[in-house]
Amino acid sequence: MTTTPSPASTATKASEALAVSTAAVELAEVVKRFEDVTAVERLDLRVPDGEFFSLLGPSGCGKTTTLRMIAGLEIPTEGSVRIFGEEMGLRPPNRRPVNTVFQSYALFPHMTVEQNIAFGLQMRRTAADETRRRVAEVIELVRLGGMERRKPQQLSGGQQQRVALGRALVNQPKVLLLDEPLGALDLKLRQAMQLELKELQERVGVTFVYVTHDQEEALTMSDRIGVMDAGRLLQVGTPEEIYEHPRTRMVADFIGQTNFLAAVAQGQGEARLADGRTVNVPPGSTSGVAITLALRPEKLSVVPAGEPSPSGANQLVGVVERRVYLGSSLTYEVALEGVTLRVRQENTPSVAQCREGDRVGIRWDPASTTVLEE
Amino acid sequence: MRAGDAVRPRGPAQRVLAANTWAVYVFLYAPILLLIVFSFNDNRIVGVWNTASLRWYREMLDNAAVLNALRNSLIVALASTAVSTVIGTAAALALERFRFPGRRVYDGLVYLPVIIPDVTMAVMMLLFFVEAFVIVQAVLGISPSLGIPTITLSHIAFNISFVAIVVRARLAGLDPALEEAAADLYASRWQAFRRVTLPLIMPGVLGGALLALTLSLDDVVVTSFVAGPGSTTLPVYVFGLVRRGVTPLINAVSTVMLVASMLLVLGSLLIQRRSPDRA
Repeated sequence: MTTTPSPASTATKASEALAVSTAAVELAEVVKRFEDVTAVERLDLRVPDGEFFSLLGPSGCGKTTTLRMIAGLEIPTEGSVRIFGEEMGLRPPNRRPVNTVFQSYALFPHMTVEQNIAFGLQMRRTAADETRRRVAEVIELVRLGGMERRKPQQLSGGQQQRVALGRALVNQPKVLLLDEPLGALDLKLRQAMQLELKELQERVGVTFVYVTHDQEEALTMSDRIGVMDAGRLLQVGTPEEIYEHPRTRMVADFIGQTNFLAAVAQGQGEARLADGRTVNVPPGSTSGVAITLALRPEKLSVVPAGEPSPSGANQLVGVVERRVYLGSSLTYEVALEGVTLRVRQENTPSVAQCREGDRVGIRWDPASTTVLEE
Repeated sequence: MRAGDAVRPRGPAQRVLAANTWAVYVFLYAPILLLIVFSFNDNRIVGVWNTASLRWYREMLDNAAVLNALRNSLIVALASTAVSTVIGTAAALALERFRFPGRRVYDGLVYLPVIIPDVTMAVMMLLFFVEAFVIVQAVLGISPSLGIPTITLSHIAFNISFVAIVVRARLAGLDPALEEAAADLYASRWQAFRRVTLPLIMPGVLGGALLALTLSLDDVVVTSFVAGPGSTTLPVYVFGLVRRGVTPLINAVSTVMLVASMLLVLGSLLIQRRSPDRA
């Protein structure tokens, strides 16, 4: 998508300048190569203090490598990592003001819950009574009362996850790094932990950098999301921005479901589809440029074929190929010339239902179209 | 029929297997039993039972040559075990945790002493010492000779491999993220090793050490090549006695060695069986 208006960009620059002093984590032109494989390619990122930031992407996209570079477990091949304005350079993990919750939890199996949580404080030579007090506080915070003397093997997955969280939080890190911490839990527990994590983050006010491949998890918890693919940061924004205004096809496709329609911009807020029909689109694209229209299934609606379209709305005609009943909603796959569009409709009495083989109209508001230029 | 009374069908296969089990027991343990029994025999003639006595044990304790050999054995075993455990553990850590030039070659070479025959190892070591002595004499002007130090060095040479193998097996089952977590929680490399890695691989380290101790105490071939006059170890001494004709003294010495070895192996097994959370 093209952004042309200049006053807006000056405003952005001003707010960026403000953010410099408060950025908890700042990566500038970071590159990481392993032998001949490039894991992270020219990554720029700024996470303000107190934010719940998620790095989202498919496995192997470089998100965990990025996290490990912040932690100091990997050193960038090029570029700089700053934490609260301080250049980290070659500084080893034990001298960085961050703590990590590992994907495997990495709890020390020969230590009790208490000893695991106290480890960081002991390494920093905290006084014994203060260590005891803070460990007790954290055990309260992560709700592990009564488990102090257990060994990690004697805990459930969810409890182990809490120990890992407590072991990191007890050190009052400036930034908490989380590497797919909920990946090993079952669905129910994962959903419960999502809310718990978000609540915890708001309570302690620590900056979270959260790595996940689960888009729902990222949308649920994050203040902002950075979508990564093949070592590049494709888009950074609030969950709403990312979902409503994906900037590339990859982002639109990775987050939620999306229908893609190839078209050519006609100017005046119009675009011509492959089959020659013209639809209304948000203005902005230069006439003659090839564009892709991204349409979310829930923004489309199925109407009886003959029904006239209200002025301004787009309407195409097709045949219902498949109807999938999902309880609270229904999904239709409607075949148009050359493409199949997926439409999601709420299962409410006011919405007309149709059958496979029906000829129907598909209608949408041009404003809910995302125009991608690639 | 009551449930506890289940009749096991006894086909011919079962009978053969049962007989085989007994045959193996007899084959393995009859000589041991014989050795132990005859070590308590009062008769000078080895195979003829007379009356039970502790005569040969007393004689063993009065025999200066036996005691000297035993002392040598213990010195060599303890020294070579201590050194090879440290180096072997370090080698295992290096191979399992670090990337460095020549790692693959080192990986193969470290196991060589396990594979090559004892005699080859013995000849090799002897040749090495002879050549080394020439150089030492040329450079430092002193002329060293074969003895306890050369035996100890040879034992260190083969024990490193065994310790490295045992420790590495333990390390391979250890999540590398544990060491990263320690580093993330402000532990220096040394602290991470002391507080996390070492306690978790300790069963492997102790098991390797006991294995090294046993191998060192038992070694005849390598030792007899690199031992000098007056630096005989117990197994080499026993071997020498046999060549001069078996006396019941050997039975007593062998029984003592057998019991000591069995205790060491038992200890090694017990330690290795301990789960990491109690290490």
